Amino acid sequence: MAEGGSSVEFSSSLANSNLPPPRTRIFKIIVIGDSGVGKTCLTYRFCAGKFPEKTEATIGVDFRERLVEIDGEKIKIQLWDTAGQERFRKSMVQHYYRNVHAVVFVYDVTNAASFRSLPAWIEECKQHALGTEVPRIIVGNKCDLQESIQVGTDVAQQFADTHSLPLFETSAKNPNSQGEGNCGGGNSDHVEAIFMTVAHKLKSQKPLVLSQPAEGSGGTINLSRGRDDGGDGARSWACSSC
Amino acid sequence: MITTEFLTHIHLFSFPPHLCLSLTEPDCGRKQKLAEIHQALISDPVDIETLRRAAASKGGLLTDELRRKVWPKLLSINVFELPHKPGRDVRKNHKDYNQVVLDVRRSMKRFPKGMPAAERAVLQEQLIDIILEVLKGNPQLHYYQGYHDVAVSLLLVVGERMAIAMLDTLSNFHLRDFMDPTMDRTKHILNYLMPILEQVDTELHDFMIRAEVGTIFALSWLITWFGHVLSEFKHTLRLYDFFLASHPLMPIYLAATIVLHREKEVKQTECDMAMVHHLLSRIPQDLPYELLIGQAQDLFDKYPPSLLAKRAALQSRKSLSISTFQAFQRSTLHQRPDSVLQRLTKAHGSDTSRHGLEAALPRDRGQLWGRGNRMVKMAVWGLSATLGAAVFAVAQTAMDWGPEVLLQLF
Ligand SMILES: Nc1nc2c(ncn2[C@@H]2O[C@H](COP(=O)(O)OP(=O)(O)O)[C@@H](O)[C@H]2O)c(=O)[nH]1
Ligand SMILES: [Mg+2]
Repeated sequence: MAEGGSSVEFSSSLANSNLPPPRTRIFKIIVIGDSGVGKTCLTYRFCAGKFPEKTEATIGVDFRERLVEIDGEKIKIQLWDTAGQERFRKSMVQHYYRNVHAVVFVYDVTNAASFRSLPAWIEECKQHALGTEVPRIIVGNKCDLQESIQVGTDVAQQFADTHSLPLFETSAKNPNSQGEGNCGGGNSDHVEAIFMTVAHKLKSQKPLVLSQPAEGSGGTINLSRGRDDGGDGARSWACSSC
Repeated sequence: MITTEFLTHIHLFSFPPHLCLSLTEPDCGRKQKLAEIHQALISDPVDIETLRRAAASKGGLLTDELRRKVWPKLLSINVFELPHKPGRDVRKNHKDYNQVVLDVRRSMKRFPKGMPAAERAVLQEQLIDIILEVLKGNPQLHYYQGYHDVAVSLLLVVGERMAIAMLDTLSNFHLRDFMDPTMDRTKHILNYLMPILEQVDTELHDFMIRAEVGTIFALSWLITWFGHVLSEFKHTLRLYDFFLASHPLMPIYLAATIVLHREKEVKQTECDMAMVHHLLSRIPQDLPYELLIGQAQDLFDKYPPSLLAKRAALQSRKSLSISTFQAFQRSTLHQRPDSVLQRLTKAHGSDTSRHGLEAALPRDRGQLWGRGNRMVKMAVWGLSATLGAAVFAVAQTAMDWGPEVLLQLF
């Protein structure tokens, strides 16, 4: 894999006496799920810090990124926001499954069909060699619409457990409407905590990922390492109370 | 059958060219072009070559009023025999219904900024109907996300009924490859991009190959004719003029000129898929469109699809849009001017009533119109907000053509 190559290069050049400029590691996370579940809103919320007033249908693949700081290391989180319509993913999105470090499956808690699609999405990922060794999580979005919920937490949790995937329920629109879930962490919002949890998980994994020269650090945030225990079980690194 | 506005132009053009002192003034070229377009429209058969040239050359078709006259000619559409407004049935039992509704309801950026939400909502409902009407009439065609971006660009200019006719033709020809059950043919069209770049700038081409950037960054450009990515509607319209008058592969040539235009930026980017995709997929809003359109035409002439296909082992027969294009173009050659068409249409006795007031609107809406229905009024307001002053001009033209034309716009 490309990552392997560049990580070797990275560590050997570190050993050199004349140190190269610090490199920023990049975590690539692909966000998939049915059309309309809120993938674009979630990725926008994480990268731009707010709920987008208007989103348009995503055509092909959109890309968003944000620089964060984890345990003193600057890390670039790249989110690949994909089109939900089946025709796109069959022949277009494939290209982007390569080199991805983590997967976020999204469904809409107010749309049972989007939940029923999850097995197909999970299967598709497996076909692209994104199996258990790659951190994967499930996110149930639109929790703010309490009165129209179609997928209960218990059902979703059961499903997540059978696939050994951590489950998060949230809202891209109003991420604090979750109440006092302990994923939220301080005053940072819940969507943020979800992606940061994935980032922590990736950071605790051994292989170094693709890197690039460090850039100016706009929008850096700090998240302490407290909740990251590096365990492998789904429950052990995710917040089970969500 | 000559509009007053047209008379004005005739008048202007009766001056010998040397009296047109303003040749140096930009306006003169514009006036000249207006006259040429009008002349082409009244020629019998319609001078389609001139219309095509006008649509592609500097400034495109200039005004929405002209677009309403020329666009249908570019697609061989008789404006006196437009499809009826879709009835309520159109929304029943269509496999793409949910996706269409989802995409249209969230596509708000595509409407003029100042438009009140209620008016936009009316147009959005029309948009859903238009799309489903065309899909229902063509079971071989499959909706794709981005199709709504094409439909809205048409709707905002030509109104509901003409938009249906145009979308129908475009879907069967120019957009045909994108509407297969799978996107294999779309991919095939995208595959023309890199060979064009290779011909012009090998270094850039090789850089992009090394970055493994692929061509998905240009996907939304291609399948929406850039409607999805441009924030200024006037730029979208300018490109639509160009594409409606061109070979179906022209959007790919334009995509190539845009990449070439940004060659320095691209080469300075880190040679990495994500970085290059990121850079290219964000289209600068201040592109020199006229220049790029000219370059795209040059590239097309120099490296036509057939040549690329040979060099890049692309099989043009794989594209339905390419293989049907010649026949499509032939079909546009023998159109009668609107004045004749109208007479001919009227001559079909049974047709006359169809173009009366009741028939122009579906029965229920016709009645609603009579009672001053709010929805219909809002649609009209919506359209006038979009068109601004142009609506006045078209209303004038329509009065001359007969009120049915005006009704057909809505
Ligand atoms: N109420 C609510 N609406 C949301 C939320 N997230 C997204 N939406 C809405 O759902 C629709 C689809 O969102 P989008 O992000 O475009 O979905 P995508 O197709 O998965 O990218 C849009 O109208 C959003 O405004 C949320 O958390 N709460
Ligand atoms: Mg999206």
